[in-house]
Amino acid sequence: MPIDGLKIIGESINDSVPSTHQLYNENKMYDIVALAKFQDERGAAYIDVNIGSRPASFMADLVRRIQQVTTKPLSIDTPDMEIAAAGLEAYDMTHSGGQKPILNSISLSRLEMFDLYKQQPFIPILLITEGLDKNKYSIMNSTAQETYSTAKDFVRVAFELIPEFSNDQCILDPGIMPIGGDMEGYFKRLMDSLQLIHDDPDLQGVNMSVGLSNFTVMLPSKRADGSPVKGPLESAFLTLAIPLGLNMVIGTVKRKYQLLDDDHPALQCLKDILQLNGIEVITRVMQFYS
Amino acid sequence: MDNVIEGIALCVERGKISKQSPFPPDMKDQDGADEIAADAIKQGVKPDDLLDGCILGMNRIGEKFSQNKVFVPELLMAAKAMTAVMNHLQPFLESGEVKHKGKFVIGTVSGDLHDIGKNLASMTIKGHGFDVIDLGVDVPVDKFMQTIADNPGCFVGLSALLTTTMGNMEKSVKAIKEKYPDTKVLIGGAPVNQNFCDKIGADFYAADPQGATEYLKQNV
Repeated sequence: MPIDGLKIIGESINDSVPSTHQLYNENKMYDIVALAKFQDERGAAYIDVNIGSRPASFMADLVRRIQQVTTKPLSIDTPDMEIAAAGLEAYDMTHSGGQKPILNSISLSRLEMFDLYKQQPFIPILLITEGLDKNKYSIMNSTAQETYSTAKDFVRVAFELIPEFSNDQCILDPGIMPIGGDMEGYFKRLMDSLQLIHDDPDLQGVNMSVGLSNFTVMLPSKRADGSPVKGPLESAFLTLAIPLGLNMVIGTVKRKYQLLDDDHPALQCLKDILQLNGIEVITRVMQFYS
Repeated sequence: MDNVIEGIALCVERGKISKQSPFPPDMKDQDGADEIAADAIKQGVKPDDLLDGCILGMNRIGEKFSQNKVFVPELLMAAKAMTAVMNHLQPFLESGEVKHKGKFVIGTVSGDLHDIGKNLASMTIKGHGFDVIDLGVDVPVDKFMQTIADNPGCFVGLSALLTTTMGNMEKSVKAIKEKYPDTKVLIGGAPVNQNFCDKIGADFYAADPQGATEYLKQNV
């Protein structure tokens, strides 16, 4: 059963997915469009569309084709202004019941992306992993407090740039790192960031999302006893993060995400990791799947 | 001596860092890479032999990784065990008694905080006897340029994990190649591939740390 209130942005149509990359290279548009239909039927709330560095006209064509087979709104996924503009221009809101697309993503150093709003209103994913230094250069946030401050700044900027903006019309992405190599405490920092945003009355109503598959990338698919590794760890993450306001993920509709009982080994693993540092995190992850 | 090489190779392959390290469970309370290397130095074993043990162990775990028999956590543990050996070798590397095979500058490109792939490549290449200058994550192109200027003849490795930072990788490669056309630039990371490597003018796409190491060994 899907988790109540959790929206999945289906991640399959992405150039960094090897099988999709191959479909792109072989120009198998029918199969790419079929991925949209499949994700729609499996419960995706949005269909992400990432074409890598292909021409903007390719994005426009793909958006039109996908909207022929699904009424779900799309997530135009590119840092490139031209590709984003083409995708948004091609997007037809009448095909999605009047729902705006997502624009994935905007950072404080790419505020010009907001100009596209006049052309086609969208819900922006605001990357809060990076802020600006005193010289207005992009700088990666290295603490939960910095991530939270960027969230505050970014939402304020969005209010200034979009007249009808409201908190529920944006998605904050605090970034998620692979747990299998987390010797720097990224997971703890993420949870602290979610907590700070969740507790701020000025940020009530914002959506929060992460690219969930990134959490378990580079881990084995099965534990020593044959049970799965990635699904339970991702569900464990959701079990901890949803109470802190996470309500969206860019993820796969193939996983059966669920909220786990307190004694579930995957949840125990993540709770332990919140108390560990450095190489101890790695050995705890290995202990989970060994 | 063969026992020392094999002992170190086994510790590196299994990720046994030190005696007190609880991993792997079946080697609990056994000496790890740290103790074996320390004892070997005391007994007058040639430092080069310790390096050979590291290379052997890293080759073994690298092969398993390529075959999907082990995963990133095991590779990180192996790299940590190898680092324990390298710490004992550091004085010999500094004195010149053990020669570096070459110099390798590595970093994750601007805008990208991901460090796993970069760290694995860094540690693996170090374990094969290269002098590695790790610039960390979110590295601006200016920092790469300055480091190349300070280290003539070095190889450069750029890592990225996000599609949003591939553009920064391209900018970095182009800037490096414009000013230092003879500098060999390697790229790696989940969203990049051979096509992207060709497109941006990098010299080598490394699908894994072993691929990067082999390229360096062949081109040094």
